[in-house]
Amino acid sequence: MAQNPRPRSVLESLGEEIVRILIPVSICMFMVVILVSILTSDSSSTVSSIATIAYSETTSDTTWDKFVGALLNSLAFVAVVTVVTFVLVLLFYLRCTKFLKLYMGFSAFVVLGFLGGEIALFLIQDFSISIDCVTFLVGLFNFAVVGVLAVFMSKMAIFVTQGYLVVIGMLVAYWFTLLPEWTTWVLLVAMALYDLAAVLLPVGPLRLLVDLAISRDEDIPALVYEARPVSYNDSGTSGGVAQRRVWRERRNPNSNSEANPNLNDNSVLVGNEDRGLSSNPNANDISELNSSVGGDSVASLVRAEEGRAVEEDAELVAPLLDRSMNAARVEGESAASSENLLLEGMGLGSSGAIKLGLGDFIFYSVLVGRAAMYDYMTVYACYLAIIAGLGITLMLLALYQKALPALPVSVMLGVLFYFLTRFLLEIFVVQCSLNLLMF
Amino acid sequence: MEASQATTTTEDPNPSPNLRRRDLNLNSISSSSPVWPTIDGPLGLSEEEGLSYARRFYNFGFLLLPLLWAVNCFYFWPVLRHSRSFPRIHYYVVRSAVGFMVFTALLSSWALTFAVGGERLFGPVWDQLVMYNVADKMGLTGWS
Repeated sequence: MAQNPRPRSVLESLGEEIVRILIPVSICMFMVVILVSILTSDSSSTVSSIATIAYSETTSDTTWDKFVGALLNSLAFVAVVTVVTFVLVLLFYLRCTKFLKLYMGFSAFVVLGFLGGEIALFLIQDFSISIDCVTFLVGLFNFAVVGVLAVFMSKMAIFVTQGYLVVIGMLVAYWFTLLPEWTTWVLLVAMALYDLAAVLLPVGPLRLLVDLAISRDEDIPALVYEARPVSYNDSGTSGGVAQRRVWRERRNPNSNSEANPNLNDNSVLVGNEDRGLSSNPNANDISELNSSVGGDSVASLVRAEEGRAVEEDAELVAPLLDRSMNAARVEGESAASSENLLLEGMGLGSSGAIKLGLGDFIFYSVLVGRAAMYDYMTVYACYLAIIAGLGITLMLLALYQKALPALPVSVMLGVLFYFLTRFLLEIFVVQCSLNLLMF
Repeated sequence: MEASQATTTTEDPNPSPNLRRRDLNLNSISSSSPVWPTIDGPLGLSEEEGLSYARRFYNFGFLLLPLLWAVNCFYFWPVLRHSRSFPRIHYYVVRSAVGFMVFTALLSSWALTFAVGGERLFGPVWDQLVMYNVADKMGLTGWS
């Protein structure tokens, strides 16, 4: 019991926690690839949106024109996103949390109802499914309302919430793949750079948001995917006892032990979260405890931290980063205006579970979806690159224990591997296959 | 364990018989009554909050939301399995399950009749009701 539990906890839990983030990311990417493969649209039906205000790509332009146009588009988009993020920081600073939550619910409803409806209509038209409008509307209404409740309410079934977040990511990502090709690639790189700047620079909006949230001990209203916390039963008795694994962090002198049931992140005391557990101010690495003892003595062991005074509060620093993504206007739909999804990068939840912002889901899936529009070989290469980047980011997260941007590493690796595969690997593999050397 | 301490200190004594039974059966995996009414277990709701959630889901489901009833049953699955442990929640969850099955039966029978019957059964009205024609007529899938 005297050993330092921290290295053991990182090594033990990292595998399971990585898998619990990798699975939804992979599912989202897989669904987008399937949608892209099924709904093959001709090149003329591209959306006009905020991401294409500066330049609309046509196939007859020269390469340089396309590149410059794509650059202008991406800069415009990043500028809009920056402005909107600063507006959100301002709203959060003025404590308009109710308004932010309402807006989040509204944007979820728009995405699920309108984007989901559009994509469902595409599928219905492609496959000529003879469904009538009454059934369709009832189904869509149900889907959207339950989705809004899942995103809005903090205590919905975890599986339902996670499923709806993945679906929202998938819908928005599919919509983004409808942008012209050059714009998509330059936009991905631009968003990766923006993410890097906004999270790591001290003047970046996301950093400001995270610092505000930490200093106020408040919850940022955002669309964030939080993996289930990994729980360990050391000796296998008392099934159903949840042992929380904690990332033990540097102590924050501002924190106190008051029970704030809305705390969801930053400097939240372990055991005190919105899951209905008691406010146990002492965080400890519970996997160290010998759980063959009965239920109550486990609690007393929890209270008595090894080698530390009981009144110390070791809490989690889980600074989260927010990035508002302006999913642009959908033409032809009356009610859908520019929506803002308040999204986050990667951080640690209050129970030590890993949180990944929905924007990361979206941009990973956009990359893979765009790769699917070329060939499946690029899909495999980009998928592996993104997963490798995500693993690297998770390890950096475990190392630095602060909010990190999840986009840069993965997107850069993904883009690099896409172009390498498309221009170098494909020729090689195709020639090998044609000459029956390798399949 | 923090969890059990939460339920004893902040909740009414109603769950305590469950807890006592659970403490006695610490080493037995056989079906002792569950402490948590939700499928998430300790990560989910306590019994009091679970009651208010179940009631709200049940009432909102009447606004043509059978999926909400289904989510209610899914979320409170332990209540359906161990029907004697949480009698108040069980009341709402069973009614949600019944409502969901009735609504689904009605809706799917209508949808199947529509899909299988087609124009033979409905005549020209079928073309006006089927979704892809409605989408074309209203221009719903025109992106730009």
